[in-house]
Amino acid sequence: MNLKTPTIDHIRLISLYWSRYAVRSGSGLVYLLIALVFGLFVAHILITPVEQLIARQERELDQMNPEVIRNTIVDIGQPIIQWVLGQKSLKDIVQQSVARQRRLTNHSDDDSMTVQSQKNDAGLDPWTRFLLEKRPALLSAIFLVLLFGMPFVISFLAYNQVSGDIQSHGLRYLLLRTERSNIYFGRFLGTVIFSTAVMAIIVVTIVFYLGIKTRIYPALALAGWAVHGFLALAILMVPYIAVCSLISASVDSPFLSLILAKVIIAGVLVLAILGSVAWEPAKYLLYALPWAWQSNLLHPAPVRCLGAALACLLYTAVFLMLGYYCFERRDL
Amino acid sequence: MQHVVSIRGLSKSFGRIQALTNVSFEVPSHSIFGLLGPNGAGKTTLFSIAADFLKADAGTVEVLGIDTRTISRLRGRLSILPQDAQFQRNVPILDQLVFFRLLAGQTKQQAQQEVLHTLDMVGLQSYAKRRVGSLSHGMVKRLGVAQAFLGQPEVILLDEPTEGLDPAGARQIRDLIKQLKQRATLMVSSHNLAEIQELCDHVGILDQGKLVLTGSVDEITRADREYNLCLSRPLQNSELECLTSIEGVRNIKTLSHPGANQGKGSAEYLVTLDLSADHINQDAVIAAILRGVLDMGVTPRKLAEGHSLESHFLEVTGGQSGDTVALDPAE
Repeated sequence: MNLKTPTIDHIRLISLYWSRYAVRSGSGLVYLLIALVFGLFVAHILITPVEQLIARQERELDQMNPEVIRNTIVDIGQPIIQWVLGQKSLKDIVQQSVARQRRLTNHSDDDSMTVQSQKNDAGLDPWTRFLLEKRPALLSAIFLVLLFGMPFVISFLAYNQVSGDIQSHGLRYLLLRTERSNIYFGRFLGTVIFSTAVMAIIVVTIVFYLGIKTRIYPALALAGWAVHGFLALAILMVPYIAVCSLISASVDSPFLSLILAKVIIAGVLVLAILGSVAWEPAKYLLYALPWAWQSNLLHPAPVRCLGAALACLLYTAVFLMLGYYCFERRDL
Repeated sequence: MQHVVSIRGLSKSFGRIQALTNVSFEVPSHSIFGLLGPNGAGKTTLFSIAADFLKADAGTVEVLGIDTRTISRLRGRLSILPQDAQFQRNVPILDQLVFFRLLAGQTKQQAQQEVLHTLDMVGLQSYAKRRVGSLSHGMVKRLGVAQAFLGQPEVILLDEPTEGLDPAGARQIRDLIKQLKQRATLMVSSHNLAEIQELCDHVGILDQGKLVLTGSVDEITRADREYNLCLSRPLQNSELECLTSIEGVRNIKTLSHPGANQGKGSAEYLVTLDLSADHINQDAVIAAILRGVLDMGVTPRKLAEGHSLESHFLEVTGGQSGDTVALDPAE
């Protein structure tokens, strides 16, 4: 492939211009709203039971019992983490959640909750134990759900990197002023910058709320895990943006680009999960996108964590080069 | 004569539709070259290949001696007004044009100064902070022209630069194009034959993707150049015969004759000159006609160059409207 020399200065200018005006365009605003609503809704669902317990304890006991709170958080976080990590089926998770809800409503006996939590803890694998015990469990659960859900949301931002301007011929004003490679990579980078900024807003909001409102974790532990989670989210978005970039360069209809992005990102997951029921090797479809790797971004072993990050970068490189190959050769 | 644009054997198809077939011609330096053709003739396709928006199936386009497939080597030297490209609707026009100049390596201050000056040239300076979505069709067209004039391009391709403009706006753009001839070579496509005849010194006529005629306007219209002659009274048949007998006059046709029955009132004639013989001088023939008219006691009220190019255009394209034979998805 003849990669025309990209100009760093042009890529910088194009990415800044793109990220600056992406928010003004419909897709930027829609993504911002959906990502914020999704991120904060997930946090709300997971934090609310803990807040209610704290309020009840303060009302009934005049102070909160950190041990009980932590055990409750483990109760809440454990099924979610085990499901996202593929260690338990949805059926087990639902049964566990119903039992937990029953205990929470009939509780009054804090000791019995502690004992039950200890029972649940038995037999946990080291990864789950790390996320639940060595790191702020509530934040771990939120990050895992966001890592699972954000790939579905990112296409709202990234679907229209070039397809709309191919359709409207708007790129023609740029083509005599810079290389196609600068336009392609500049817009990709601009989308990554915008996505990263939105991830930062979501993580900072959640972490500030957790730190100030619940006060159940030491600030340093919370901040450290928040930085890790933010980096995991930011890195994971990059290959999905690159997939959207490839789709956007291949079709000249933004609507079709959005539909294809949605179908491909979700389709790979659904086909792998449903397909593996009938034919087990279908699960390897997950490797077509970073689905199979992405949870490793929160793995306790640095090698697996870094390996997942490298895998994300490798996926990005492959999708980007395929997209650039289409963009360089197509009529604009 | 040095050629700034050289097009050789250019062909392009869209599926089964052949948009351009083996088109070859050259554009002389510091000329205004008019590209004519009915709708769907392939004008926009040709411009798009010249700017590397579209990839040719065969043939090459060289601008300033550089193959446009390596278009980056022409950065800053070639600019284009694409026919149907849209600006970003939600971004102020100043920001969009400044961004183009930043890509050319200017500072923000330099870019703003140049952009405001160029917007002033096309009468859009007071709209600089407006978003493109709030501009009328004519204003957007002028904005497109403005972006093509930014910088110091040596070759400018203008695809239908006055389409959709009111008469004053079209005149303004034509005057700008004439001024630019001093420092650049321009290729202009238009449906307006009178405009092309006024602006251009060379033309090429495309029909159904094929180049059917090319050359200087003088050469093309030399064989039968037309003039509209308005006189204070209608001419008698004998007087008409007398004028037609002047060497260099091919024929004289009555265009309008409001007072024909009474033998009074003004009358308009279409005079066709035949300047094909080398010794015949256009000015001398016109002077002889006017002298003859004055000798007959008739006062010439108007003498204007007619649409000689239009006659040729209709002749070579068979007078067919391209609307019914739209060939080119790019147009």
